Amino acid sequence: MILRLLNFAVIGALVLAAAYVYRIKFNSTVQAEHLAKLTSEVRHERDSIAALRAEWGELDNPARIQGLANRFLHLKPIAPTQFDTLDHLPDRPADGASASTDPIAGIIENLEEPEMATGSIPAAADTAPDSAAAPAAAGAPSQ
Amino acid sequence: MTANANPASSEPAEPWRRRLIRTLLYGRNIDRLAKARARVGLAIVAFAVVYGVIAARLVMFALASNSHVNHRVVSGDAVATARPDILDRNSEILATDVRVPSLYGEPRRLIDIDGATELLTADLPDLDATELRERLSSRRGFVWLKRDITPEQQREIYRQGLPGIGFLNENKRTYPNGAEVSHLLGHVNIDNQGIAGIEKWLDGQGLAALHMAGLATDRLQAPIQLAVDLRVQHALRDELVAARAKFSAIAAAGIVLDVRTGEIVAMVSEPDYDPNNPHEALDPTRINRLTTGVYEMGSTFKAFTVAMALDSGKATLKSAFDAHSPLHYGKFEIHDFEPQQRALTVPEIFTYSSNIGAARIAMSVGVDAHKAFLKKMGQLDRLRTELPESAEPIVPKRWSELNTVTIAFGHGLSVAPLQAVMGVAALMNGGILIPPTFLKRTEAEAQALGKRVIKPETSELMRYLMRLNVEKGTAAKADVPGYYIGGKTGTADKVVFGRYSKTKVLTDFMAVMPADQPRYLLLIMLDEPHATAETHGFKTSGWNAVPTGAAVVGRVAPLLGIEPRLDLPTADNLILASLKENR
Repeated sequence: MILRLLNFAVIGALVLAAAYVYRIKFNSTVQAEHLAKLTSEVRHERDSIAALRAEWGELDNPARIQGLANRFLHLKPIAPTQFDTLDHLPDRPADGASASTDPIAGIIENLEEPEMATGSIPAAADTAPDSAAAPAAAGAPSQ
Repeated sequence: MTANANPASSEPAEPWRRRLIRTLLYGRNIDRLAKARARVGLAIVAFAVVYGVIAARLVMFALASNSHVNHRVVSGDAVATARPDILDRNSEILATDVRVPSLYGEPRRLIDIDGATELLTADLPDLDATELRERLSSRRGFVWLKRDITPEQQREIYRQGLPGIGFLNENKRTYPNGAEVSHLLGHVNIDNQGIAGIEKWLDGQGLAALHMAGLATDRLQAPIQLAVDLRVQHALRDELVAARAKFSAIAAAGIVLDVRTGEIVAMVSEPDYDPNNPHEALDPTRINRLTTGVYEMGSTFKAFTVAMALDSGKATLKSAFDAHSPLHYGKFEIHDFEPQQRALTVPEIFTYSSNIGAARIAMSVGVDAHKAFLKKMGQLDRLRTELPESAEPIVPKRWSELNTVTIAFGHGLSVAPLQAVMGVAALMNGGILIPPTFLKRTEAEAQALGKRVIKPETSELMRYLMRLNVEKGTAAKADVPGYYIGGKTGTADKVVFGRYSKTKVLTDFMAVMPADQPRYLLLIMLDEPHATAETHGFKTSGWNAVPTGAAVVGRVAPLLGIEPRLDLPTADNLILASLKENR
């Protein structure tokens, strides 16, 4: 009698175990397909990154940049005299000291400000200070 | 034992017929019960093994099924062989793989060949119709129809839904910088195998074996970083293209070499080609003149002659050599370009670039010592780098005194320009000959590889002479303020039909910057430059290669991080004085 009960118990355990294993197996298949999908997505993304990097390399090519700079900018190559080291930089003045307390320095600063234009801003920028960005593109073809 | 004992008692109960059968079947005196039990046991074991094997296989299949899923996904683009990216020293991309679709056909599955041909040629106008039909009519299982089509073309063909026509994604090598870095990188064939330059070298590094095994399909290979600096390379090429046009030269070439590590930071040989378009490389005028060409370098070789004399102690800066009159040697007569008609000291020979003086210096050292010195400087053997292309120098078979006389001023020995650069770099960097490389290398690695060829003091004297030559010699036009350039010019008559041409020359210029603390060596070489109005009819190096070199230095030095120093004393006061102090 006990043996028969045991038999039934074992059969029940077997069925349960089979069901459990099936569940695990099914889950693992789902996971594996998910993984495969992600892997292929990663591969695809990596390929697109490579394509974009190649395109960026083409756009960032020094020859192309030089051509664009020659067309649209008024910059000139740097001369050796334009370099200086950081220790030649004068100390920063105390906050607000020069502008507010010394009127003459304030006047000089105001005078010098418009002259500080760099080479990248064409002369047209001085006459139309309100549209600072436009002259860079618009001013170039006229010269 | 009991089995043998029992039968004696039970035997008589058995009828004789059964006993006979038993005896025939099992033999005498054997207990069937014991035997049967053993057999059942054996059967249990056998079945257990069989079921065990089946169970184990089931587990194995369950575990292995993952890889099946992956394989199914990849099969659409399995043909593609991936190559590692090539980067410059600042990690800018020089070469990379891009996936592109390729069109293939399976003729056996194709139903309507003519219809397919018509539709395909409509979408791909550059496809030859007769050739396409021929390919599709073949009985093969697989034919390539067109490699590397655009995504739009792919979409169009896909929409026609032709059976037996399909696409595979392939890796295609692209060089975003085009011709900027051409000879150095080399290129690949349609199957993405390297066939020139660094690309071929890469295949030699085990990549080819990976391809063969079909393993190199993924993009996960570590990128290769080269020593070349794209910005410097561009600046050098830009100036060389301009110089080549200006002096209507056949070719222009240049190298920037780090003298402390032997790294080649830039290398241009114009005319070059676009590696995206490899058939351009077949044109013989587009060879890499710096490694595959050999040239008589002209007066730049005087640097070796003078260094040899100074290093051997046979001459000092004060030694004077007679340059009164042209040097007669057999039926040959050696002239100076700027005859001074007096005895010249060693620095004067260097700055006036006196052929007679250089010849006399070499003769004072002797033929064997001269040959041994050039051998030590690596000028007589083929120079091997990562590039598969290299050329053997043309060395005279019998090296007589006449050879020594002419080689002293750079005629009669043809070397690859890169080789000469390596030698001069050793004269500049303190006397250590470092094999040049296209890969990144640290100073410590270079020191381990290098070997000492001249004394450090000799190197210092050579740098003094190079600087002196810029201050008051043939290379005066190279004096870009702030970079303290030292340089030696060279103008060699070209050999045409076995004779030295009077009209065709090869000019070159070697510049070291800065001369007091050498960092980089620059070579500029122009093949058959012509005189222009600006050069007052001259076509020697000082009028074409030197100004080009100066322009290159002005652009390249800031990129290489060389700080301009504007208030440096002359060579006499800086390099020579520091040498005297140390003694």
